Amino acid sequence: MTLRHTHLYDYHKVHGKIVDFSGFEMPVWFEGIIPEHNAVRNAVGIFDTSHMGRIFMIGHDAEALLDNLVTNDVSRLEPMEGLYTVACNEHGGIKDDFITYRLAEDRFFLVPNASNREKDFNWILEHAKKFDVKVTDVSDTVAMMAVQGPQAEETLQKITLESLSEIRRFKCREIILGGYKALVARTGYTGEDGFEAYLWDTPLSTPSKALDLWEKILSAGKEFGIKPCGLGARDSLRLEAGLSLYGNDIDEETNPFEARLGFVVKLKKRRPFIGRASLARINKEGAKRLLVGIEMIDRGIPRHGYEIWREGRQVGRVTSGGFSPALDVGIALGYVTKEHSELGMEVAIKIRERLAKGKIVKSHPFYDEAKYGYKRERT
Amino acid sequence: MSEEYEIPDGLYYTEDHEWLKVLEDGTVLVGITDYAQKSLHEVVYIELPNVGDKMKQKEVFGSVESVKAVSDLYSPVSGAVEEINEELADSPEFINSDPYGKGWIVKIAPKNLDEEMENLLNAERYREHLESLKQ
Repeated sequence: MTLRHTHLYDYHKVHGKIVDFSGFEMPVWFEGIIPEHNAVRNAVGIFDTSHMGRIFMIGHDAEALLDNLVTNDVSRLEPMEGLYTVACNEHGGIKDDFITYRLAEDRFFLVPNASNREKDFNWILEHAKKFDVKVTDVSDTVAMMAVQGPQAEETLQKITLESLSEIRRFKCREIILGGYKALVARTGYTGEDGFEAYLWDTPLSTPSKALDLWEKILSAGKEFGIKPCGLGARDSLRLEAGLSLYGNDIDEETNPFEARLGFVVKLKKRRPFIGRASLARINKEGAKRLLVGIEMIDRGIPRHGYEIWREGRQVGRVTSGGFSPALDVGIALGYVTKEHSELGMEVAIKIRERLAKGKIVKSHPFYDEAKYGYKRERT
Repeated sequence: MSEEYEIPDGLYYTEDHEWLKVLEDGTVLVGITDYAQKSLHEVVYIELPNVGDKMKQKEVFGSVESVKAVSDLYSPVSGAVEEINEELADSPEFINSDPYGKGWIVKIAPKNLDEEMENLLNAERYREHLESLKQ
């Protein structure tokens, strides 16, 4: 199988350390995960996220179709507003999680995970048959990049005449950015303030607009110490922010309630949706296991698949783990049986043959929100 | 990205990317090679043995954890741990910045050095070993 490339591959192959991710040749880092991570927490960083999916849903029934597919209430979305949404299967297992933007009354834009691009598109097409709606996969003709960090707004403000401060969190606007027409949304996957930019009409075969915009953003952010960031920092940032990664923390075998995503399940919304009966039952019975955050007390880094122990036996498993640059310790997300999921409980993680001590902590986010993240106190 | 690795002459190497340096008093210093530190990238923890621990050639005696991965350390020789590099606890980045100097990991009093040296590679053969890994 040949690996796929994004619009920005020509930059990555010169400057980045390339790895295979979900079938794409992507940069895992440019300079290093820790300096890139810190650039985003303290200043600004830019990510290529063009490996993700971009799907248009246009037509009279677009809202009805989407409300049928996702657990959240899409009907309450105003034009130029985004919403974190989860789509489930009939058993309540998570098919994917993505942001849904409403661009106009009859026009929606979805951004699924890279690993689910084809699965989601085919699934949506299958369900779209009964609706008056046109579904188009535009992943290969729209480039996508994320500019994240406390100085993301200042950086992008230098290359647009629009007042970016007017775009509030989870809102979006079509603007001219660096000379190109783009949809800019105040969203991200790092816990920080920042934007995701969608550059229209940029085919993979002629990606010069994407490369040019990337360079313009790097130049604009230079005075703030902007760094191009790879997937390594993207993963460590989202983990520190306590955001789930599809395929690790959530998948078709996990339901939104145990993943602590119950807030996106609107059992009482007007339209029925796939998985509602199962989800109503799970909600009534209560989740048997829960996704928790663990901060290490002993040295060592928890990693995907490691066992979680308590009172001399295994009580769960790590789904995502790594080193937290902000906390300077190992952190993890993992599922544990409900009776072992209370904040402050001491647990152990089996790191190879050793049981290393840790404790259950608030994980959304792991860091102090007064110091880091989009809610931080501005100085 | 540079694919060039520093491989000093005069040291001995394992296929698992540890290096060994014979000191004048007959003890040996052990660390990981430039190739190993570049592959691991950004080391954040090192799990070390205790002074006095006995180790056997090719057996695991510790591990190095980077942001991305964890890798076992294999002893290049048999012997007893005489000293560990205590500085690595606070400055694991020495493994990346100076793998053959400040990034040394343990000092060992070897038991069968002459015999076991036959299982180690010199700089030239280690370079060939790295070349063979590229294919």
